[in-house]
Amino acid sequence: MALEIATVPGTSPAGELLAHGRREHRPGAVLVVLTAALGVVTLVSLATGAVSISPRTIVAAVVGYRPLSETQRLILFHLRLPRVLASGLVGSGLSLAGLLFQGLFRNPIADPYVIGSSGGAVFGACIGIFFFSQWSVFGFSATALLAFAGSAATMALVYALARSAGKTNVVTLLLAGFAISTMFTNTSYFFELFDRTGASNRILLSWLHGSIGTPASSELAVSAALLAGATVVALPLMRTLNTLALGDEYARQLGVPVESARVWIILIGSLLTAVAVSLGGMISFAGLIVPHVARLWLGPDHVRLLPVTALAGAIFLMLADTLARTILAPSEVPVGILMAFIGAPFFLYLLRKMKRSYAV
Amino acid sequence: MTSLLRLSGVDFAYEGHAVLRQATFDLDPGSCTALIGTNGVGKTTLLRIAAGVLRPASGSVTLRGRPMGTITLKEVARTVALVPQQLELPFAFTVQQVVEQGRTPYIGMLRGPGRSDRMAVDRALDLADASSLRHRIFNELSGGERQRVKIALGLAQEPRLLLLDEPTQNLDIGRQVELIDLLHFLRAEGITILASMHDLHLVDKNFSTVLLLSPGQPLTSGTPEQMLKPSVLEDAFRCPPDRHPLLIERAELYRKEAR
Repeated sequence: MALEIATVPGTSPAGELLAHGRREHRPGAVLVVLTAALGVVTLVSLATGAVSISPRTIVAAVVGYRPLSETQRLILFHLRLPRVLASGLVGSGLSLAGLLFQGLFRNPIADPYVIGSSGGAVFGACIGIFFFSQWSVFGFSATALLAFAGSAATMALVYALARSAGKTNVVTLLLAGFAISTMFTNTSYFFELFDRTGASNRILLSWLHGSIGTPASSELAVSAALLAGATVVALPLMRTLNTLALGDEYARQLGVPVESARVWIILIGSLLTAVAVSLGGMISFAGLIVPHVARLWLGPDHVRLLPVTALAGAIFLMLADTLARTILAPSEVPVGILMAFIGAPFFLYLLRKMKRSYAV
Repeated sequence: MTSLLRLSGVDFAYEGHAVLRQATFDLDPGSCTALIGTNGVGKTTLLRIAAGVLRPASGSVTLRGRPMGTITLKEVARTVALVPQQLELPFAFTVQQVVEQGRTPYIGMLRGPGRSDRMAVDRALDLADASSLRHRIFNELSGGERQRVKIALGLAQEPRLLLLDEPTQNLDIGRQVELIDLLHFLRAEGITILASMHDLHLVDKNFSTVLLLSPGQPLTSGTPEQMLKPSVLEDAFRCPPDRHPLLIERAELYRKEAR
């Protein structure tokens, strides 16, 4: 081994062709492109629907050039905008939760849906909808709080089941997640028995199918604040996730307080899942696919992946929801069902494309 | 002189199965120690205890005279680095990204790696002769290449004590010699080394001390001349003296020296 010592700092390989031929893009360039894409997709989503309002009309109204008609204003600001924003928040929340769980479990297949976090959130939310719909604590509805509690408790349970001798068993993790998710999802149907009017059942069904409605502005504001807060808290943990990729024991050997980092990541991932489930119910594949695509662009460094995953997740679900409400117009396909149809083949394609990268 | 690391009366068991009993030894600063013993006797466990990632059931571990339990994880990580036998990554990290993780004890949560960190990573890659692998995906490397990267990862911690678990595994003989040269160089830089070794040919003349871990026996230590005697190795490894080239060769050597 050469004993000459370099004194010139190395440079980052970002944007360079790696030795095996894959190309990683510059994070700044990806962020700029995604931010521009988010703007375009938002505009297209706002313009698309049963009543068509052209993007030019929307832009003209926003810059004050030409006001909208009363009908257009109602459709745009009271129906479409809240829904488009909600779909963006749901996409970001699920994708970020997927990124956190995949990093924590050192497993590219972990996402809130697969490992039962979404199921736990739906179960908690069902209890809120059916028994405590009038309750709130510090401005948070009991439904949202119970969704968070359900998600966090499920994650802790799945994690505890999968841990053995200081290691996370991937097969046990996925099987435990699948079992708990199935149990909670089906138990949620049990709540039908308690509903005499059918009103709660409609809410329940839309949650189980994964459907983004038109949330109230207060709900949107709280969800956006929670998502932003969770993202800010998650930021310093991204470097920890890189270290955790070496394994828990190695991370501890490098000075990482593994247990507390794990608790924080589970809490933040559960909060993000709860925000997404509160707005859109059970939506599969977003948390699985978006981090994979982001890794294809930027490699596995979680620090780079965080903002890109948040933006890409928002764009992905905005597009999916726009498609869901227009593909069979005037009927509407629940976005959760659409995601299952387009997500599964896309995910299989990604698995083939990326199989060299993973040591699962 | 204060020991860099001292284990005193250390016991450790996995689910009731005792692995270490009353293990006691000192590592002096700048020493280069080989840890030898049969498969499964507890060499890796001993190294993990020395690195502070396992806590002994009883006994004490002190680092620079301070009990390990009273030192923060980061402080331990700035002093001790453990290069493990196995390292599997779930994602396609490049070698550069892997070795950068060695700077974790020096980097705050809200701060990225600075100039000194990049220099330490470059130096570690150079020392382990892994600079040319910098942009390769770690999971796609051969066993020998991975071994060099793991050593670079340990060196990036800039430790005072380097613990190596079977560092010559997967290395061809040329690379083994280079590794031994590296250990000599690190020792000259004042870094203390404790390496578990299976290849006893490499232990002789390259290590100042040998620790021998035998099943059910107390940990013994001595110079390579004392510990690599055929009679000691026969007992420790339960190997007939005329069946392994190493024992035959060493018996011949000792006979010559006796004459």
